[in-house]
Amino acid sequence: MGFDVIVIGAGPNGLAAAARLAGAGRKVVVLERADAPGGLAAPNEFHPGYTAPGLLHDEALVPRAVVDKLGLTGHGLTFRPAPATYIAEADGPGLLLASDTAAAVEAIGARSRKDAQSYRDLRAWFDRLTPLFAAVLTEQPPLITPRSPGDFWQIARRGLSLLRISRKDLVELARVAPMCVADFLNERFETPLLVEALAAPAVASTWNGPWSAGTVTHLLLRECAGGETLSGGPPALIAALLAACKSAGAELRTGAEVARLRLDRGKVAGVTLASGETLDAPVVLSSADPKRTMLQLLPPGTLSLRGEEEFLRLRSRGSAAKVHLALSGPLEMKGAGGKLHEAIRIGGGHVDDLERAFDAIKYRRFSERPHLEIRVPTVAEPGLAPPGHHVVSILVSFAPAKLEGGWTPEARESLGDAVLRVLEQHAPGVRDRLVAREILTPADLETRYALSGGQLHHGEVALDQLLMMRPVASTPRYATAVPGLYLGGAGCHPGGGVRPTAGLLAAEAILGA
Amino acid sequence: MPIPSPFHERTQALCSSYRWKDWSGYCAVCSFDVSHEREYFAFRQSAGLLDVSPLYKYEVTGPDAAALLARMMVRDVSQLKVGRVAYTCWCDDGGKVIDDGTVARLASDHFRVTAADPTLHWLQAAGRGFDVTVEDSSTRLAALALQGPTSRAILRAAVTGADLDALKFFGVTRATVGTVPVWISRTGYTGDLGYEVWCERGDALALWDALIEAGRPHGIEPAGLDALDVTRIEAGFILLGVDYFSAKKVVLASRKSTPLELGFGWMVDLERGRFIGRDAIAAEKERGSVWQLVGLEVSWEELEALYESFNLPPSLPATARRDALPVYNDEGLQVGQATSHTWSPLLKKYLAIASVHRGYEAKGTKLQIEHTVEYERRKVTATVAPPPFYDPERKRKP
Repeated sequence: MGFDVIVIGAGPNGLAAAARLAGAGRKVVVLERADAPGGLAAPNEFHPGYTAPGLLHDEALVPRAVVDKLGLTGHGLTFRPAPATYIAEADGPGLLLASDTAAAVEAIGARSRKDAQSYRDLRAWFDRLTPLFAAVLTEQPPLITPRSPGDFWQIARRGLSLLRISRKDLVELARVAPMCVADFLNERFETPLLVEALAAPAVASTWNGPWSAGTVTHLLLRECAGGETLSGGPPALIAALLAACKSAGAELRTGAEVARLRLDRGKVAGVTLASGETLDAPVVLSSADPKRTMLQLLPPGTLSLRGEEEFLRLRSRGSAAKVHLALSGPLEMKGAGGKLHEAIRIGGGHVDDLERAFDAIKYRRFSERPHLEIRVPTVAEPGLAPPGHHVVSILVSFAPAKLEGGWTPEARESLGDAVLRVLEQHAPGVRDRLVAREILTPADLETRYALSGGQLHHGEVALDQLLMMRPVASTPRYATAVPGLYLGGAGCHPGGGVRPTAGLLAAEAILGA
Repeated sequence: MPIPSPFHERTQALCSSYRWKDWSGYCAVCSFDVSHEREYFAFRQSAGLLDVSPLYKYEVTGPDAAALLARMMVRDVSQLKVGRVAYTCWCDDGGKVIDDGTVARLASDHFRVTAADPTLHWLQAAGRGFDVTVEDSSTRLAALALQGPTSRAILRAAVTGADLDALKFFGVTRATVGTVPVWISRTGYTGDLGYEVWCERGDALALWDALIEAGRPHGIEPAGLDALDVTRIEAGFILLGVDYFSAKKVVLASRKSTPLELGFGWMVDLERGRFIGRDAIAAEKERGSVWQLVGLEVSWEELEALYESFNLPPSLPATARRDALPVYNDEGLQVGQATSHTWSPLLKKYLAIASVHRGYEAKGTKLQIEHTVEYERRKVTATVAPPPFYDPERKRKP
């Protein structure tokens, strides 16, 4: 079978790439190893009748510009305001951090007027930086050594967008970007509960604790990315992308695992499936992670030693686990006064507790008191569980891919127990409502979703693995050293999460080539 | 502190000169006698027996062994037939030579690589993703080079289980010497008819004794590295660390060499697909090389006249020399350097291996080589002559 482009992986990036390429008239096939499309964003019926809407909770990263470019609104995708996050507290009412700044400031003000003012200032600073970050996050990464007039124009334009930001804000950006998020937040806030909660998204599923350098950049990349979320969560994005692919004429094949890329005289010629079937195309766009694509799918010996070294060096250590709970009733947080929340965060109450949770993975253990980022999708979408029942999706920080002694079934259950112990302290009685639980260790994530190292972002988010260094410094712009092979997954700029941008940019790199 | 080789018990008993050198960490004999002359003439007129155990040796085995070596080596050794050996070099990504050596295909999925420098890491790096096992067999295996016109007669007498007359130039076969199982390859570093015999370390002394015994009627002589050095220059073989330097070890990029510059262009097939250094070599081919390895024959008449002007008879070093000498064009500009040079007792010529700038490599080009007499640096004419200087027909004859 011959195609113009073979796209590997039907996650947000693969589907976005396919929709864009097919829309430009290319004959495209998307090959998905799983039996259903979606990748990390696919709905996951982890227990009969209970569905978790994908693995990740960060659909707020999806840029409107990308949605517009792919015409996804026309395929039914709608945004909604992000839900408030309830920050649980061991012996107290907790703190409700609304996505609306005024409401959040009011809630914080009840504890500390200083923090309320700091939060207002911080959000305002984020808002002023957002145009710059929005541009960075929706364009090809700038080059360290610009070559073409377009490269220079991009830098010039970026320079102009910098000019629109005040000198004071820029100096502050330069000062804080390499800082650790704990120092950054401690400069501003005096409420430990708030510092920990604000720091946590910057380190979730990275190999960093809040005291690790550079984590402020992670914070900025999230906080300056948008803010609205998607109605229907990640599966809604997949549904819209599938509709876009269909109307553009891209073919989708599920249960079609790519075993090897095929080359002819050094150039991409197609793929061989695990079934042995071969497909031909002069261009392959892989949204699988860069290590997997370049070190496993590519025939050994294809890259130069130096090229290979870059991908060997790429750090891709999973650091988070996922736990899905099926509950026969709501998740009632004891401090929340009977109110149900869609987004909940449970930490130890101090940023050092988050750091302690991170400490564990440095020594190949999982945290016995993990930090929990919780979504209860059934609050907004009751249909994901039987009537009255609920689904709880928990991103657990931290658990290492390489656990001392390995991820035995006992180790997996003991991680699940640790998560439930933490949850139970804040939601007593949750165990009595437990219908089923699914525990996905980084090792499980690696096998189920073909993620190198079980790394949810296809490569760690770290200062040296961002922008023009993502996935590797020698080929940051989706094309690789192998003619015809493009990378277009979360391992590329602008990175992971439920975000189809890299796929779109890779497709445009192919169309521009 | 060098260690004894597997043959040390025999060689040290014979080494009346006490002249040893460190070869890859082993004690290696420079010459058994005070002069290497007898050993040299054994190589050229009967047979010399040289301990080459210090060579680095690697066994590359497994289904992807050929694919790994095809990637690593400049030459497409995956095309080698079982029982054949190839001389090749290998490069880094930049197309700069790291080392040279032989690759023997002992079985369809078993290759033996020899190298001048440790190469395990490089084999492992090049083998990532391949289904192969790489064993460093350097200490497990002992090896002897039996080189010279009577070497075949000696082996014929010593060997069972192999047809020596059927073993072609660059062939390799299994055999037995006395009771010792060996591999015999028709390879060597002297440029004459010759063989290399490989055995397990524990069998080394038995192998030595059997070959010496069988060689007695054929003028066999234990030989050292001084004699080898003269023969290898006559044969035009370059030496790592002398005539060129490993790309992994040099400080200056300008010190690195490419296969084309070293005269290994015949090994390169740019059309066969990717191998390490391919793109850089292709670009060099397009652009032209900077250096070219050549042979030089130094004018005897001018040497004689030079010494005459000092009232001295001509006197040249008795052994091959590795002190590099500048080479000039006829305008007196330095255009290269002679890296190995020796008096050839057989050819009665003063020979050199040199690297010269492009444009000076044509056969017959007259250059000037520095020569020092009585502390005075002078120049004598040296004519470009493509190596090998010595190439007897019997070397490759069936």
